[in-house]
Amino acid sequence: MPEIRVTPLGAGQDVGRSCILVSIAGKNVMLDCGMHMGFNDDRRFPDFSYITRNGRLTDFLDCVIISHFHLDHCGALPYFSEMVGYDGPIYMTHPTQAICPILLEDYRKIAVDKKGEANFFTSQMIKDCMKKVVAVHLHQTVQVDDELEIKAYYAGHVLGAAMFQIKVGSESVVYTGDYNMTPDRHLGAAWIDKCRPNLLITESTYATTIRDSKRCRERDFLKKVHEAVERGGKVLIPVFALGRAQELCILLETFWERMNLKAPIYFSTGLTEKANHYYKLFITWTNQKIRKTFVQRNMFEFKHIKAFDRAFADNPGPMVVFATPGMLHAGQSLQIFRKWAGNEKNMVIMPGYCVQGTVGHKILSGQRKLEMEGRQVLEVKMQVEYMSFSAHADAKGIMQLVGQAEPESVLLVHGEAKKMEFLKQKIEQEFRVNCYMPANGETVTLPTSPSIPVGISLGLLKREMAQGLLPDVKKPRLLHGTLIMKDSNFRLVSSEQALKELGLAEHQLRFTCRVHLHDPRKEQEMAVRVYSHLKSVLKDHCVQHLPDGSVTVESILIQAAAHSEDPGTKVLLVSWTYQDEELGSYLTSLLKKGLPQASS
Amino acid sequence: MEAAEDWLVESLRLYQDFHAFDLSGATRVLEWIGDKGVFVAEYENLKKNEILHLILPLRLSVKENQGLFPERDFKVCHGGFSDTSVFDLKHVPDTRLLVTTGLPGSYLHVWQITEDSDVIQAVSTIAVQEKEDSLWPRVAIFSSTTPGVLHGVRLSSLRVVDLESQKTTYTSGVSDSEELSSLQVLDTNTFAFCCASGRLGLVDIRQKWAPSENVSNGRGGPGTAGGRWCAEVGGKVRSPGPSVAILGSNGQLCLLDPRDLCHPVSSVQCLVSAPSPDPELLRVTWAPGLDNCLAISGFDGMVQVYDTTSWDGMGSQVEPLFTHRGHIFLEGNQTDTTPLVTTHTWHPHKPRTLLSAASDASLHVWDWVDMHASS
Repeated sequence: MPEIRVTPLGAGQDVGRSCILVSIAGKNVMLDCGMHMGFNDDRRFPDFSYITRNGRLTDFLDCVIISHFHLDHCGALPYFSEMVGYDGPIYMTHPTQAICPILLEDYRKIAVDKKGEANFFTSQMIKDCMKKVVAVHLHQTVQVDDELEIKAYYAGHVLGAAMFQIKVGSESVVYTGDYNMTPDRHLGAAWIDKCRPNLLITESTYATTIRDSKRCRERDFLKKVHEAVERGGKVLIPVFALGRAQELCILLETFWERMNLKAPIYFSTGLTEKANHYYKLFITWTNQKIRKTFVQRNMFEFKHIKAFDRAFADNPGPMVVFATPGMLHAGQSLQIFRKWAGNEKNMVIMPGYCVQGTVGHKILSGQRKLEMEGRQVLEVKMQVEYMSFSAHADAKGIMQLVGQAEPESVLLVHGEAKKMEFLKQKIEQEFRVNCYMPANGETVTLPTSPSIPVGISLGLLKREMAQGLLPDVKKPRLLHGTLIMKDSNFRLVSSEQALKELGLAEHQLRFTCRVHLHDPRKEQEMAVRVYSHLKSVLKDHCVQHLPDGSVTVESILIQAAAHSEDPGTKVLLVSWTYQDEELGSYLTSLLKKGLPQASS
Repeated sequence: MEAAEDWLVESLRLYQDFHAFDLSGATRVLEWIGDKGVFVAEYENLKKNEILHLILPLRLSVKENQGLFPERDFKVCHGGFSDTSVFDLKHVPDTRLLVTTGLPGSYLHVWQITEDSDVIQAVSTIAVQEKEDSLWPRVAIFSSTTPGVLHGVRLSSLRVVDLESQKTTYTSGVSDSEELSSLQVLDTNTFAFCCASGRLGLVDIRQKWAPSENVSNGRGGPGTAGGRWCAEVGGKVRSPGPSVAILGSNGQLCLLDPRDLCHPVSSVQCLVSAPSPDPELLRVTWAPGLDNCLAISGFDGMVQVYDTTSWDGMGSQVEPLFTHRGHIFLEGNQTDTTPLVTTHTWHPHKPRTLLSAASDASLHVWDWVDMHASS
């Protein structure tokens, strides 16, 4: 099956649920298993019935790969493995393995406790799902089975995010997941070698955008914080414990002195502990090469940032506080929010997406009056700012990555083909590769021509060259030899060598045919007549009359004998080896036609 | 790194909003379509140049609750490829058509923004009368139910071609071979031309060639000072006064009243350190939302905004109201040479918002803070 098939799963065209099925040389791999955050019903899960309608997923899929911990890439994993049913291996990087269950549990709590959902996966299911995980290191070739191997590459984006290469024999596919090509302050940028896969699969979501520079996003953040602090306000930044907080802390730390600000910056205690955990994950995840790509500093030791005590929330004057959880759905960040919401000098900066049902989601939708527990209404007078810090590649970034990996073809998922015609042309033109854009549920089939390397023996090669004909680069050259296949190793050798290696004796096949001709003369005269006839007809061949009376044509032997019963009939014995089959058959039919009546 | 970070801190008080983008290739074009979209186009030799229709980040388009919109990116709405370099692009109002010009200058190209896909497609060409090796025709559009394309390399080859029928509906009819540097349509019947020499005229196409000019009998005008010139006529609906600005490659700027072009109202020397290294990139634009304000670029990596309200007399040195230095400090490609601003434009209705592009393929959108305004 020299073809690669790719099917993006699920309904809906927008970003929100990554799940791609790849078939490569008979192996089936599922890439990511994301949840669509915008839907509350089954539409939030990918449509797994595409994989197989009747059979068991475990039998059909060789493995599942998760690129990083964002819910739109792993949110449906427990549902998939525990409720739909999959027991095979799930591959992901070590940090992803550490962080996924935390995010999944958080999400589960919000869905069940805040939104009262019934048919949702349980905590136990998350645990059972994670038991199936096999963690991988960067640039480590992992054998899924004796034919399928995978390798993770650094993707930047978030801690533990990886791009994966899936390889079977000489065919390979690279899946990028989410990545960024411009370096982050603490995570650096994606990198891949010139691995030349048959296919590169990437998101099209940001392919038609031109990203505002990192500097300007940071500037906007600093400006907002600065303005609030200057007017004596308090700034609350709800963060998820691991990831974005580090980036923003480094940013504030870098500029606090330059901007000559005295207001205190706090990091809630829960965060400090998690930050250490994060640091450990980080150090073992990245390596020297990657760390060289971004600013060298110990980003976990801060001069201006101190540990927070809940009592500080009531202190007068400006301050900045980083607190968990990130969507204001519970805990310390929500407590602080309630204290500060009523003052218009204060500000809350939401650095990421908030799931429906959380206070974060409500205020980002513009709600200014919130109903809290006990029917209390909270009036939100503080300034609400929504900022996006997630690092993604844009049109330029995609072109850079394609240039690095040098794939034969490119496939863009999650986009409308009509809206990406220009991008398709751009990729096809710049790199001379095919660009595919399947809709969700649509399968793209790529024919591949896998190359099978065959070693040719020196002896055989020399013999061919000795024939004297010069090789023509445009024409294929026909070569006779014996193909020996041993342990996925292919060799082409001469027949003699093959016989020798295999310890076999060469058998000679010889055919003999009797041609009956009417001729009363003696055998010797017959032989002479045969000789003359053949000599005149077969001008291109070597025809000889041997002393013993037999006639040879090349290596074919013709002997005349008398018929045992009928003296008027002569028998011509025509004998040839297997190699001379063609000539032998021809001679036989020629002789059967009879000899000319000329005199000798 | 250090200088860039210092500038960033400075920028907190200098700008309200600031966005910086990296295009795949530098542009000399920034043409509006409505108030939410702009066109950019590449101008390199010997490659397929991209023409892009970009939609402004949502954050810049919304009027209220800006804080709730995290979208800071440009969206590529449509794109196309040109085999020739594009030096200027004009959108034909109320249509899906574009006209581009560049080198080689033998044709103008007409494009269409397709409706159901994201492609900008080439539809036709308009042959230029006088074909010259190194000069390219300037273009302006007479918009009406039957749009006409005003174009020419020299005064003698100035003509208007009907877009649909390709018939010539107007010619200058003069033999004057002065090279043009800018063309601007003012209303259904008038256009302004500016020659590289600084000679400027306002033409009524209903009459035989009889423009009101700033030179008489071929003498006078700012051209006597030498250098290369370009001009822009301001919208000027509110207050009377000079509405024509003419900018020279040595940094001299003259303001003229359209009723009496021969006698400049004022002539000043802008704060530029050296003459423009590429006078074809000179640009002067009147602010649509601020009285008496204009912006200049094309001398270096900066865009300068001037308030012309109190300008009078001849020869005085003036200081800009604001200078945008972003292209120098936020170098995209880290090359040794400082980038040169290739073009700039004002936002149609946000009074202090401008877009500027430079030779390093950077594109900035900035909203400067008026320090002098009493708040």
